[in-house]
Amino acid sequence: MTEISYRDLPWPVRDDITAAQARTWEKLAQPSTWLIGAERIAIAAEARQAQDCRLCRERKDALSPEMVQGEHDHLGQLSALEVEQIHRIRTDPGRLSRAWFQGLAAKGMIEERYVDTVGVIANVVAVDTFTKGLGLDPWPLPVAQPGEPSRHRPAATRKLAWVHTLAPQDAIGTVDEDLYAGRPTAAHIYQAMSLVPAAVKDFFDLVTNQYIPPQAMMDFDNEYRAINHAQIELVAGRVSALNQCVY
Amino acid sequence: MTGVGANADGGIAHGAMLVRFATAVLGDAAAELTAARTAIVEAMGGAALTDTAAVAALFNAIDRVADSTGIPLEEKKADVTADFRAALGIDAFAAATEKGSGA
Repeated sequence: MTEISYRDLPWPVRDDITAAQARTWEKLAQPSTWLIGAERIAIAAEARQAQDCRLCRERKDALSPEMVQGEHDHLGQLSALEVEQIHRIRTDPGRLSRAWFQGLAAKGMIEERYVDTVGVIANVVAVDTFTKGLGLDPWPLPVAQPGEPSRHRPAATRKLAWVHTLAPQDAIGTVDEDLYAGRPTAAHIYQAMSLVPAAVKDFFDLVTNQYIPPQAMMDFDNEYRAINHAQIELVAGRVSALNQCVY
Repeated sequence: MTGVGANADGGIAHGAMLVRFATAVLGDAAAELTAARTAIVEAMGGAALTDTAAVAALFNAIDRVADSTGIPLEEKKADVTADFRAALGIDAFAAATEKGSGA
């Protein structure tokens, strides 16, 4: 089993970051709501592979990604549809469009698996970018664990996004009430993957520990990190601008 | 250091240094990332470096959650940020039409 540890670094890494990443890596190997463990590891590996994909590089350089056709350089473990999803999200997220998403759906993409896959990609990107930032090699991916997906679909009837989402008020009184802790509202970004509540919980474990906890975001009287609120938001804003993320 | 120009801090302590790191960690230039990392450690300390890397990494991920699900910006946020979003050129991003304002 891969042990995530930053003990040997010359700089201190907060224990809560290390612990959250260790939890992420452990869950990465396990079956989730719509994916078996082996699929999750294959998705994680493909997300890494995408960075060396010639087609993705050519598309990134093109005025429009749709202008460049071809085959992805892939690892051969997933369908062409899944490879297209993973590579585009990993390498050119700012130019994803509703038409692209609908194109995947028309070819048979399953919405619940799509969202579960987004969660895997996000987790791997969060951990891999962190190690890159510190000059470390990416952590080896964990070994897939056996088991079946739970296939739990919440009462996600609203389409706040391209995908179905579980509105906070619709979660009240259901088994997914804990997703919003009974609150009637939530930030859109928190609702984005709510079609797969476990994906939200897993990713926001990293959000809380690598960024700041929700209750600290607007608490400008106190600082919670070695960089202050303004510095945190400057870094976040710069990254999002480079990714051309409108949100 | 504050001021205007490519090395300006934007009124935030060590702002230019942090922007340099955030840019480098998303790029492909290993030497530049090493230099950006060293600069933060020397000026702000090792804990600042690791927290900066954590935030940059998290946003590199959360941007993908937002963009791959098509989640729109909340209407209230869009309203109160309209002026500086336009000034910063965010409205010119490829996805601005689809995701730039509330659902």
